[in-house]
Amino acid sequence: MVASQDALLAQMRRGTLQYCVLSLLADEERYGFDLVRGLAETDGMVTSEGTIYPLLSRLRRDGLVESTWQESPAGPPRRYYRLTDGGRAALEGFRLEWRRFRDAVDHFVERTET
Amino acid sequence: MSSTADKLVEDYLKRLNAELRGLPRARRRELVDEISEHIVEARADLESENEAAIRTLLDRLGDPEEIAAEARERFGLAPRKVGWKEVGALIMLPIGGVILPVLGWFIGIVLLWVSDAWSTRDKLVGTLLFPGGLLLPVALGVLASESSGCGTVVTPQLSPELNNASNCPPPDGTGAWEVALVVMLILVPLVTTVYLARRMRRMSIATA
Repeated sequence: MVASQDALLAQMRRGTLQYCVLSLLADEERYGFDLVRGLAETDGMVTSEGTIYPLLSRLRRDGLVESTWQESPAGPPRRYYRLTDGGRAALEGFRLEWRRFRDAVDHFVERTET
Repeated sequence: MSSTADKLVEDYLKRLNAELRGLPRARRRELVDEISEHIVEARADLESENEAAIRTLLDRLGDPEEIAAEARERFGLAPRKVGWKEVGALIMLPIGGVILPVLGWFIGIVLLWVSDAWSTRDKLVGTLLFPGGLLLPVALGVLASESSGCGTVVTPQLSPELNNASNCPPPDGTGAWEVALVVMLILVPLVTTVYLARRMRRMSIATA
């Protein structure tokens, strides 16, 4: 793969990662570690788990997620994240646009393979 | 074994904290807190806690430098461009006083304090640790060579045998102390300059 493609993929990953985080929080609240492992388990999404924390911090500051401290069954309390109304709206908006975009790109790049 | 693990984790967090220097204090503390919580959770998840397992865990977390770069981007912090104030301060503090006695050093101090690239603590270090910069050792050196009459006055072509170290009186006890003092007076400003160059905040807030 050429270098510019690597950079493009990194950018695409970076741009879409926050919506993957929002999606993971759509149905349930999760604490940081759980969230990060959830993302890292899917191949090709994140290379370094630690880089997700700056994103979480940013999302919280932008009001898309909020966090609360909750007791954990064992060990110290955990910071749980959940979607705000704004976060839910952002996720819905992205879903629509993403489908359109994905279908459009598929329309061209998948054509030769069929 | 657990103490080796603790040491690895401690080193990692220390490095992370250092890499995050320049971020707003609250952001930095929050990130370090969350990542140390992550490490606690991940360690609790390990089947057996040995050194290799901890290393793998930290590898998965990623290089502190990479995390800091991500944080800069997410928070809209641009890498600081080193400006004329910073360059000026770093040049004028050590040698300004030599080029332009006293005043040159003073210009360096003004530049150091008007720049926002250093913390107040670093500015105090820069101001108090080497008043005058290299002016003092240079002045002492000139005085010493003039008073002893050796060094600059001898022309090598005419009197090679006079132009070696034996021309100058070998340093006695006091001489050695003076040399040590001068070496220290030279080293301290240089070390402080290097310190200031390294302590420059590498990030500035580009956007809110």
